[in-house]
Amino acid sequence: MRIVVTYKWTCDPEEATVGADGTVDWSRAKAGISTYDPVAIELARRLADAAGAELIGLTAGGKGAGTPIATKAALSRGLDQVVIIEDESLQEAGRSELAAVLAAAVRRIGDVDLVITGDSSVDVAAKMVPTVLAGELGWPAVAEVTAVTGQAGALRVERAIPGGVQVLEISGPAVLAASADAAVPHVPGMKELLAAGKKPVEQLELTALDVPARSAVMTVTGRARPERKARKGQLIDTTDPAAAAAELVTALRASGAL
Amino acid sequence: MDFELTDEQQLIRDAVREFAEAEVTPIATEIDRDHRFPYELLPKLAEMNLMGMPYPEKEGGAGADYVSYVIAVEEVSRACASTGIILSAHTSLATWPIFKFGTEAQKDQYLHDMTSGRRLGAFALTEPAAGTDAAAGTATATLHADGYALNGSKMFITNAPYADVYIVFAKTDPERGARGMSAFILEKDTPGFSVGEAEHKLGIRASSTPPVYFSDCRVPKEALLGGEGDGFKIAMQTLDGGRIGVSAQALGIAQAALDASVAYAKERIQFGKPIATLQAIQWMIADMATEIDAARLLVYRAASCVDNGRPYSTEGAMAKLFASETATRVAGKAIQIHGGYGYTESYPVERNYRDAKITELYEGTSEVQRMVIARSTLR
Repeated sequence: MRIVVTYKWTCDPEEATVGADGTVDWSRAKAGISTYDPVAIELARRLADAAGAELIGLTAGGKGAGTPIATKAALSRGLDQVVIIEDESLQEAGRSELAAVLAAAVRRIGDVDLVITGDSSVDVAAKMVPTVLAGELGWPAVAEVTAVTGQAGALRVERAIPGGVQVLEISGPAVLAASADAAVPHVPGMKELLAAGKKPVEQLELTALDVPARSAVMTVTGRARPERKARKGQLIDTTDPAAAAAELVTALRASGAL
Repeated sequence: MDFELTDEQQLIRDAVREFAEAEVTPIATEIDRDHRFPYELLPKLAEMNLMGMPYPEKEGGAGADYVSYVIAVEEVSRACASTGIILSAHTSLATWPIFKFGTEAQKDQYLHDMTSGRRLGAFALTEPAAGTDAAAGTATATLHADGYALNGSKMFITNAPYADVYIVFAKTDPERGARGMSAFILEKDTPGFSVGEAEHKLGIRASSTPPVYFSDCRVPKEALLGGEGDGFKIAMQTLDGGRIGVSAQALGIAQAALDASVAYAKERIQFGKPIATLQAIQWMIADMATEIDAARLLVYRAASCVDNGRPYSTEGAMAKLFASETATRVAGKAIQIHGGYGYTESYPVERNYRDAKITELYEGTSEVQRMVIARSTLR
């Protein structure tokens, strides 16, 4: 059984700053594996261990996607090897384009029985890549996956649905998007970190992949942030909690909030 | 000259910080308040391969370089200085002498268990009347037909009584002073070995440092580490490395105090604005950050000397002297920035302040470090 798990090397948006004109400054934001991807890797590692499967990490992106530290960080999480497509043209790629590249890479890797992705990327959070990737491959896509067991061609998948859990049996290859809390990623130990640099890494050229031509070009042409409402700056003395609560209710009613 | 950490060193910093914030920080205040040894952390430290970081994989260690090891001690100490010294004393003081001076049989018997964290180590050199003047120790080891009989006492023994293996220094030939001192490997359950009441300390309260006693404590001849008379040399060489571990502990304490101060200065409103906007606070923050950076460069330089096979006695002494005094100064400023709140247990800087002081005292006082540095500089 061969499992591919996708990951993204990106910056933490909590450390980015947004200018008054809406431009995002990432220069002081620390790069790392996108928050939910270690969850997907943990889920995939458990399945791979139980099934005796091979676990391949896959990433596609612009400059920096395949830097040694990004690759070692991913490998230290429990991947057996990684496949990287790093190309400047993917720097601002849309979700559909990126999913098409990942699908081409999955086809190139060959004999893949399952693809597991994170819930969403921490920087874009579009939640589109798993679905489009599955569409490109012609495979079923399942989101909000909380557990997966079984073997190639006979997978048992649990997914969270409103108010409960749905159990699915999948007889062929599929794309699963792990829910954000599907597993608690372990912190890599020192031996895992130091062994990461010795694991196999394959770089694929974008031009060598069979990626369908885009039917339309989508470009981000502007960004804006919502206007902030002016704050009233009204302070309530909380020395007497009961009086403070009454004053708060009165103020909220006066403003129309209650 | 390259001041960048390697990929592995950066990843190790991130991983140990993540581990420490998840597992160590949440109990740091409680174990300090209750003077409780965090025994439950030992298997977790072992699982992270932190108990034998700078030792080769074939010896059960992680195979990391010494810079990575000090980064780990720094990060653990940033969360809890007591846990930092438990780790550092085990790795630098107890495991290292066996790795460096042990016979193959001794390594087979102890090293793998210690580097993997299955057995905890301690280092017993200091005596009630022999601290800085370690050669004045009066504990004795008398040769008998079946081994040595240890007699005497030691004090301030980090990790006792929880340690499984003790490196004990005792005089096999008291007439010869330092040259009559020998080192022994002692197992915790050896008859004649006992542990006294824990000290109540100003800081690092979760680190256990009781006295230990030897009363006709019999160890086999195979317990002798190195040769008879090698003890003082083993102790001094071990402390050369141990000092780098303590300097990393001091660095972690200082960084914790700075991090807390930055967060507090941005949140604390006085005169209608965060105190971080006041120049008086900014200057303190600037001095703290600069001193910590200078200390870090000294600490990493000393560790780098170990990695590159260069002498590191003077470099380690400089790192410990500067980092420990920096920790005390920085933690003091952190309390100043926090004002009255900093003097209470509501904020961690009072613990940082209490914890910092010990780094100027153990594994060689600041005065000893200055002696080492002066001797080297004036040579």
